[in-house]
Amino acid sequence: MQKDGIGKQPAIRRIKGKLAGLPAISYALGMLVLFIAIFAVGSATFLTRYNMLTIGNSAAILLAVAMGQVFAILTGGIDLSVGGIMSLVSVVLMKTLEPLGFWAYPLSLAVGIAAGFLNGLVNSRLRIPSFITTLGSNGIFMSIAYMISIKPLSAPSSSFGVLDIVNGTTLGIRNIMLLGVLVFVLFFVIQRYTITGRNIMLLGSNEKMSWLSGVDIFKVRTIAFTLSGLGAALAGVMLASNLYSGYPTLGTVYILNSIASVVIGGTAMTGGAGGVLNTLVGVMVMSVINNGMNIIGIDVYAQQSFLGVLVIIAVAISFDRSKLSVIK
Amino acid sequence: MEKKKIIEFKGIRKVFPGVVALKGFDLAIYEKEILGLVGENGAGKSTLMKIMTGNYQPDGGQFLLRGKPIVLGGSMEAIEHGIGMVFQEGSILPNLTVTENLFLCHEKEFSKGWFISESAMVAEARRALEENGLDINPTTLCGNLSPAQRQMVEITRLLWLSRLYRHENPVLILDEPTTVLLEKEIKTLFEILNRIKEYATVVLISHRLEEIIENSDRIVVLKDGDYVTEMLREKADIFKIEQLMVGRDMVEGYYRRNEQIDPTDSVVLEVKDLAIESILEPISFTLHKGEILALVGLIGSGKEELVKCLGGSMQATHGSIYRNGKKISIKQPKHAIAHAIGYIPIDRRVEGLATDLDIADNINMLVYKNLKVRGFIDKKKERDNATHWMGVVKVKATSHRMKCGNLSGGNQQKVVLGKWLSADAEILIVDHPTRGIDVGAKDEIYHHIRQLAKQGKSMIIMCDTLEEDIGLCNRMLILKDGKKVNEVSCPPDAKPAPTDIIESIV
Repeated sequence: MQKDGIGKQPAIRRIKGKLAGLPAISYALGMLVLFIAIFAVGSATFLTRYNMLTIGNSAAILLAVAMGQVFAILTGGIDLSVGGIMSLVSVVLMKTLEPLGFWAYPLSLAVGIAAGFLNGLVNSRLRIPSFITTLGSNGIFMSIAYMISIKPLSAPSSSFGVLDIVNGTTLGIRNIMLLGVLVFVLFFVIQRYTITGRNIMLLGSNEKMSWLSGVDIFKVRTIAFTLSGLGAALAGVMLASNLYSGYPTLGTVYILNSIASVVIGGTAMTGGAGGVLNTLVGVMVMSVINNGMNIIGIDVYAQQSFLGVLVIIAVAISFDRSKLSVIK
Repeated sequence: MEKKKIIEFKGIRKVFPGVVALKGFDLAIYEKEILGLVGENGAGKSTLMKIMTGNYQPDGGQFLLRGKPIVLGGSMEAIEHGIGMVFQEGSILPNLTVTENLFLCHEKEFSKGWFISESAMVAEARRALEENGLDINPTTLCGNLSPAQRQMVEITRLLWLSRLYRHENPVLILDEPTTVLLEKEIKTLFEILNRIKEYATVVLISHRLEEIIENSDRIVVLKDGDYVTEMLREKADIFKIEQLMVGRDMVEGYYRRNEQIDPTDSVVLEVKDLAIESILEPISFTLHKGEILALVGLIGSGKEELVKCLGGSMQATHGSIYRNGKKISIKQPKHAIAHAIGYIPIDRRVEGLATDLDIADNINMLVYKNLKVRGFIDKKKERDNATHWMGVVKVKATSHRMKCGNLSGGNQQKVVLGKWLSADAEILIVDHPTRGIDVGAKDEIYHHIRQLAKQGKSMIIMCDTLEEDIGLCNRMLILKDGKKVNEVSCPPDAKPAPTDIIESIV
């Protein structure tokens, strides 16, 4: 009886019923077109080449962190520590640029990967829900960043050349965009063409069955969170290089933004459905919204409210509720 | 004896895009009877039920309730008119007490001013439960009840509601009520249904024909959205009904008995003194190449735990397992898989399949390492492997990319089978191979089991019914209270009678 019949179906579900059969990604694509149209009408500068580059720039960073986040979510978990990892990585990068030069990059990435690995270990071995694990570790990573430096760290001018890895151009294209493309390809291949990627989908879809089918669920879970750490680390070094600075709160907004990108793209929070390609579209939607609100001149403080409302609406439209009987 | 019609369908018709679900037939349901409704998946049973509960509106014909045409807008309206359905999965909330579940959304009946009288609710709950002969404490949490008890609570709720809305002779619809129940509980359920029959109508849907025939007053057979025939219990014959449902002659010999072969002498698996503390006493047996071994026993006999030890999802405390003469250790499912032992679980939606993923993902999951080209999974190899095994086990689907959740029970079972065959499993543990599968697909599963034996695969089976165990196996082990009590050979020409076996089981 609880299934249906009590009261009318909510309007949103009736609309969804009409659109049923379309893959989850098409809602996100529709939204992308809609928002581009709204902002294009609202402002003459939105569609300019310069603004498109700005969007691309910020999208590349959000893409990296969201690509990692989606693996955590595909297992049915969540990574709330991506902000802390990004901040920590940015501080480590800025601190080590002078002594290490280029080698500051691999070191910073290694720090992020290790952070993700620890999340995975605690989550899988100690059997602590990822929500709690990463909520706690986010604070730890931020605190370590504070211990390294309370004040924002700036890049020493001697290292500007090294920062060109991110800020320079190659064949007329900004490196940060090329990095974005590389990151996407990397995570896309991992999800679609490796056994680990397939096992992450299996685990998210049905953990008990995966175990009975011989999947090493501890290993797979740990790898998923390590990948999330890698994504956050990449985003951290990209953003810090872009800003020529690092500080302990640099990544905070990316926690919400990365999760929103994944969900808007149509990946189910329960895991096992959606993925990297969906998230690419989700990232574009989020980047367009963030940029468009600036362009049409919405007050900076009001933007957070607009964003909150937009995310909820976007999720209402694109979220794959078919898997869930109850929304919590 | 002339009985009054409670529900009457006249030329009832329902069309879905691409399918005619109900072809426009007449059907009457009488007061105070138990009606068994049988048919394969897609025969129209569910559609008819959903019309009765107001979830679907008929596209043609008439739906008469107590002699008057009626339009029902949903389950709640149906209940207000005295028609209630007990769902397969149940719709009892486990985190609430029996009382709270019984009167959910109707607490108002017990209000005094602004407050609800808890004690009046509990008292009424106790009375309602007793009326139906149930010994359930109204203050227990439903999560702590057995599936059978939960079902009883649901039935009590529906009866109580129909009385609240002042209806004589309510109609109770039960969809596969016995799937989740134990032998003993099934007996109790039918005792209670027979008592309820004194003042209500029960419509029963089940795949288990024996059950339907034994307990219904009248059996209606549907096929492809049409009414085929009906018969009274006294005249019902299971083979006749099966033929009508499937619409073709079943192969000669039930359970494909004629295809049974004798196993070879080589021992593929030997279990020596395997024991589980306080569950299973030391047990030893062998399994031969090409043999079908049935494990028979009640719940609590230890057979479920025994196969879990072989599949790796549980660990034995004593004893050893030998595979092709070599001692092996199985601590996790992956160890069993490494020794080519596959496990086909009883609950395939929970333990056997990733229902959100497609057929290819499910068939290939164990063999991805063989589908790689230069380190990466190759789409073409993936498709080829999936379609090959889909063909072998005859999965009916439009493409290998179809979601497994959308397949019928029989096709899902075939996908699980295909997955293990693709992984070259030599020994298959098959836990209730035909549970929730309709007759036509059952026969196909029997055929597959026979084919596998012929190819030298060995199987340990545990079936839905004793008849199925006897019919399928070469040999059976009978367990009771954690002990092996008997071993019976079952050659195709000299199958033991169920009555002889039952003595050693209970």
